[in-house]
Amino acid sequence: MSALNISNTYSAVGGIQHEEPLLFEHAHETTESISLPGIQGDISAELNAFRRQKPANIPGLSEPETVRHFVRMSQWNHAIETGFYPLGSCTMKYNPRVNEQVVRLSGLANIHPDQPVDSVQGVLALLHELQLWLCEIAGFSGVTLQPAAGAHGELAGLMMIRSCLDARGQQHRKKVLVPDSAHGTNPASAALCGMHCVELKSGADGRIDLQELKKHLNDDVAALMMTNPNTAGAFESDIKEICTLVHDAGGLVYGDGANLNALVGMARPGDMGIDCLHINVHKTFSTPHGGGGPGAGPVVVNEVLAPFLPVPRIVKDGDVYHIETQAEQSCGTILGSIGQVGVLLRAHAYIAAFGRTHLHKIAEDAVLNANYVLHRLKAAYHVPFEGLCKHECLLTDEYQNKHGVKTLDVAKQLIDLGFHPMTIYFPLIVHGAMLIEPTETESKSTLDSFCDAMLEIAAQCEAGDTQVLHDAPVQPIRRRLDETQAARKPVLVWSDDV
Amino acid sequence: MMRFLPHTDSDRNTMLEAIGMETMHDLFADIPSEFHLEQGKLNLPDALSEAGIVRKFTQASEQNSHAGNTRCFLGGGTYHHFVPAVVDYIISRGEFLTAYTPYQPEISQGTLQTLFEFQSMIARLTGMDVSNASMYEAATATAEAALMARRVTRKSKVVMAGSVNPRYRSVTQNYLSRLEGEYIEVEMDGFGTDLDKVIAEVDEKAACVIVQYPDFYGSVYDLADLREACDAAKCLMVIAFSDATAFALIQSPGDCGADIAVGSGQSLGIPMGFGGPHLGLFTCKQKYVRQMPGRVCGMTSDVDGKRGFVLTLSTREQHIRREKATSNICSNQGLMCTAAATYMTLMGDEGLKTVATRSATALNCLISKLPSQVTAAQGARFHETVLSFESHEKRELFLAEARKQDIFAGIPLEQLDSGIESKHLLVATTEMIEEADIQDYLAALEVVA
Repeated sequence: MSALNISNTYSAVGGIQHEEPLLFEHAHETTESISLPGIQGDISAELNAFRRQKPANIPGLSEPETVRHFVRMSQWNHAIETGFYPLGSCTMKYNPRVNEQVVRLSGLANIHPDQPVDSVQGVLALLHELQLWLCEIAGFSGVTLQPAAGAHGELAGLMMIRSCLDARGQQHRKKVLVPDSAHGTNPASAALCGMHCVELKSGADGRIDLQELKKHLNDDVAALMMTNPNTAGAFESDIKEICTLVHDAGGLVYGDGANLNALVGMARPGDMGIDCLHINVHKTFSTPHGGGGPGAGPVVVNEVLAPFLPVPRIVKDGDVYHIETQAEQSCGTILGSIGQVGVLLRAHAYIAAFGRTHLHKIAEDAVLNANYVLHRLKAAYHVPFEGLCKHECLLTDEYQNKHGVKTLDVAKQLIDLGFHPMTIYFPLIVHGAMLIEPTETESKSTLDSFCDAMLEIAAQCEAGDTQVLHDAPVQPIRRRLDETQAARKPVLVWSDDV
Repeated sequence: MMRFLPHTDSDRNTMLEAIGMETMHDLFADIPSEFHLEQGKLNLPDALSEAGIVRKFTQASEQNSHAGNTRCFLGGGTYHHFVPAVVDYIISRGEFLTAYTPYQPEISQGTLQTLFEFQSMIARLTGMDVSNASMYEAATATAEAALMARRVTRKSKVVMAGSVNPRYRSVTQNYLSRLEGEYIEVEMDGFGTDLDKVIAEVDEKAACVIVQYPDFYGSVYDLADLREACDAAKCLMVIAFSDATAFALIQSPGDCGADIAVGSGQSLGIPMGFGGPHLGLFTCKQKYVRQMPGRVCGMTSDVDGKRGFVLTLSTREQHIRREKATSNICSNQGLMCTAAATYMTLMGDEGLKTVATRSATALNCLISKLPSQVTAAQGARFHETVLSFESHEKRELFLAEARKQDIFAGIPLEQLDSGIESKHLLVATTEMIEEADIQDYLAALEVVA
């Protein structure tokens, strides 16, 4: 397994595509590549007594070798800058380059979080303005920028709901209703907040079933967590009635804002009766995903929950910005800083670029693109829920199953045809889900090529030409990887005798 | 026209026609009309051009003082270390920057191999068996360590030393406050860790004891007695840390016998950024790996037998296990792992040791020349300590004088821990501090001498 199966002499595997060993395998004496600033001299005698005895054994490479190592590895990645990335519920849109430029200004990147507040008025002004914009866009009156990601926002929202119910003397309310189509983070966040989940079975149209909801509404209910549009790409048209039912039962409504891209500038969750909502700025507001993060998950709330917002909070007093660290009813501190500031500033720049006049075009084009893809594919792939979709469309592998082909095979063949697959096997409410979210930043010609590829795959199935699908992918630097082996005997760090 | 949207109106019309619709409005017919916004009526400013955005951010940036035009002696969990240009170059590459979580491993081997290298180097630096592929930052990582210890031991009491960063403490306390179980903070008398007081709280009910090493006040101390007490009580020893470069110089958490070690990787090539994005590190002993939170990358092979990497042990995670997951974390700090991996590769053992040594040397230089009216906390310190003044007024006098010299001289401790008298400063040094900066700092101190 450790053998790279390549010649010791040449790493090229085809044209200019290269294998690249682990940096631990670069035969090298440890070198110090970088010239460092600072004071040369002695450490204290007291500290000297605690010296590390065995070196950490971190292999240093020279600067040219380091650059080549990581650049070569970067070239094995698919990314939004290299191609279409239609992951449903992930909103992989183009990430504007100017945002990368401005957050690297020294007066934004090189400030310490504990500098005196008078020395950081510029950054606080940008963050405060973002707070106002997020409230305005989503239709709420209060906000925290602290949550570091969507799931962290869920936790913050549920903590506020907990504090609010406790303040009402409703400590016994611990049940959180979660539709079976929800993201897995929803139940996990509820558990972390000392609550337990009850799953709501979706109706025949993939939406929340009002009868099913009513069955579970009683004196134990703390909250309903819902995603709208839901993870089947459908708008929950009964939203107002759903919120009223939950409120009448004494519970609160948590909105998972993962799918806000469908609504931005067109409609506001706060107007629909939702009490709080996290916003994945790494989705709707274009901050880069970075291979897994960092994201940011600010939470907007209505006046019911505003007293319970986490601290610290950024507030404006006249022309001066402050950071409040205490607030009587606050649900507490959830992060060691005021937030993922660099991520939030990119979101600010993105909203500024669209402004009042253009913001709704995000949702318009996103929804247009998803419906266009749905329209082109609906004859060749099974559509579990009929009707308009919002920013993403849901298909299944039902037709392809007849030919022994599964969603995974479709996904892997897409790779050979030059596309990143859609989200697969999610949501869990349909068998063999394929959830496609094109986003608004893709051109018609890209969508057409993707649809052509999908139709070609469907045609291969119909023609019985399925072996190629099971073998896919054959083009990338690695083919299907053995995940069972990886999990059974985990090798998580390199050692020279692996 | 909008520069990030490729469609022309003619494209839009062609597509609408294809799906049998007349206007864009029809696409939103499933949203009750009472919720439709009138377009262009939100209370937002007019759209800015790219040049307008650059101007706005430049103006905001110029209103802030920053480490580029000041001397930064601030620490408390965030440190001004040198970031080589290569680090920012690598994480700016679109292939790393604009990729998603590597759920399709065949076309994500770049991110995955980098994560594997990151995990390997972090394990080596901290002296621990395994590392995950990151948490948000140190405070939430500390809270997750407490939760993990409760799962591993099936006990619920958590003991926290009062010399742990107040932010790590308050987040951990908050995370635990809605769950059953006891949480105890051991108050400290001075600016260091009194291990006997901590050990006194370690009993058979304890799931874990959390200490910071070097502690919040920069103190470095021997953990052998605590390890013994933990063994006797079958309780996990959790070490939190705020600057991972320390372990190139001093004994690592692994050397000290930690079961779980968590902390900040911000010092490994990530700018201070007013608090984030930073990097949460999470490491543990091999035997506890299946209770570890967060994503983890593992080695495997593909159908042709070639070595490759995948995200693994996913049955711990929320997208599979939902309510019973080890954590709710999904998005993490992936790109910051790439930054840290690049940084550590450029540095190697020797470079990291130089960074840590010069950081400690600068502090040693400073405290060896303090005027008699200012005292530094006693005992071994890494690159951070507490300076105490005769009075609040004297400290403020000094801070004002230092600001005139563009020096951020330290963090008033009472800002982070309200129980502390307002005459102390938490002071940190790194390799970015030069001899002249120390001289200017000492010169400013003359106002209280």
